[in-house]
Amino acid sequence: MNSQLRINVISIITLAILWEIAGQTLDSVLIPPLSKIASAWIRLLISGKLLANLLMSLWTLAAGFFLAVIVGVIVGLLMGRFRAVEHFLDLYINTLMSAPMTAFVPALILWFGLGIESRIAVVFLFAVFVIVINTMTGVKQVDRTFVEMGRSFGAREAEVFFKIILPAAMPAIMAGIRLGMGRAVKGMVTAEMLLTLTGIGAMIMQYGSAFATDALFAVILTILIVAMITMKLVEAVDQWLTGWKTEIAIE
Amino acid sequence: MVEIQRVSKSFQKTVKDNTAEIKALTDVSLCIRENEFISIIGPSGCGKTTLLKIIDGLIPHDSGQILINGNRVSAPGPDRAVVFQTFALLPWRTVLANVEFSLELRRVPKEERTSIARDYLKRVGLEEFEHHYPHELSGGMQQRAGLARALAVNPMILLMDEPFGSVDAQTRQLLQEELLQLWQRERKTVIFITHSMDEAVYLSDRVVVMTPRPGRVAEILDVPLPRPRIADEVRRDPQFVELTNYIWDSLKKAMENGH
Repeated sequence: MNSQLRINVISIITLAILWEIAGQTLDSVLIPPLSKIASAWIRLLISGKLLANLLMSLWTLAAGFFLAVIVGVIVGLLMGRFRAVEHFLDLYINTLMSAPMTAFVPALILWFGLGIESRIAVVFLFAVFVIVINTMTGVKQVDRTFVEMGRSFGAREAEVFFKIILPAAMPAIMAGIRLGMGRAVKGMVTAEMLLTLTGIGAMIMQYGSAFATDALFAVILTILIVAMITMKLVEAVDQWLTGWKTEIAIE
Repeated sequence: MVEIQRVSKSFQKTVKDNTAEIKALTDVSLCIRENEFISIIGPSGCGKTTLLKIIDGLIPHDSGQILINGNRVSAPGPDRAVVFQTFALLPWRTVLANVEFSLELRRVPKEERTSIARDYLKRVGLEEFEHHYPHELSGGMQQRAGLARALAVNPMILLMDEPFGSVDAQTRQLLQEELLQLWQRERKTVIFITHSMDEAVYLSDRVVVMTPRPGRVAEILDVPLPRPRIADEVRRDPQFVELTNYIWDSLKKAMENGH
């Protein structure tokens, strides 16, 4: 872990140095040196513009992702547990899982208008299907002898579900939630760029079309940092819920 | 007393739109005395595990009946507990919590089940490993935990499904000896599924030989070897050798007839 962290840091520093050199030597507006990006970032931070937009974006992200986790896990559990539900839904879920969600944005505008509801819907749609599919797969892959063992010792249906199937499927559910988090961030930026120009997405469009590349990259970097932090948060929850599984993976 | 009366069971097997009926058991009849150690031996796929699950009430049978002290079996009950071939320990629970699991499902209050579970972990020699997770233990230790979980609910009948089939040979012998000692102390009826002739003869009062699919009882043998049985001595006993040879012949005959 420690050596991994060290290599990570070395990797980032190397990239930063190369970028700075490239920016300085090319002296082009297309590739601003890192130092200019940093000062733009500080400028945006001090003006409060970045934080205000970021908060707006994060609120969309949180709401859409939260809904996606609730709906995705419940639907996935039902599909994994009941054949009829699975066969009723799997065609749509599998299609939508790989469909380009961006294509649905115009329809969402018609249904939900141009407010935050539409943006939440986009985040939701980006994230939900991968959660459904991973949850369903997790439930279906639960070792049948665990269920048999539970029944043999007199477990009722609810006990089989909550004490055996749910914890056994938890690693797969969390894997789906992790993937869903990544997709939710993509959904957030997509919604803000394509739907209504708000939040972080609006800043990207604005600086991009104004050739303010230093500010543009400052915003992009912010998005990367947000993506990384949200990912780490989900990983921490995963570790907390399914620490027993990670231990197996390490050995 | 466990009475198995003319029990038959078929499965529907569907392979690419072709549904075939597979007869797993035909007319199996067997009477098991209280506190008896009985082994059921037979080639793979003879339905011995199916029979065990039917006795446990986990799967229904098509005809015939199973009586335990005169009561018909139709579902799992507190008088029986299973030890599984693959241990079936829950990987997210510690050894102690795994042993408590059977008691939890039987609605034993929290404090009581911890003390019962600790007691049985001690009996199988795992008292120092209660906070370990299953994957941290060897196969033999995992099965000891599986045995403790089954014994903890104090069943009348212990159903063991090739319990030592997935541990190495030395561990297997150790576990056999420990099981016999436990059985002698706890006095339970044990129905033991195995495909090892040596194991069947060493452990049992009687050995039931089954035919290949559809499984039926080919022969029931008494094992008159005196108890307590000391592993090294018993295995050199001419009677032991004779019995294992006899079972081997019986199995061969059953398999030839089955084809």
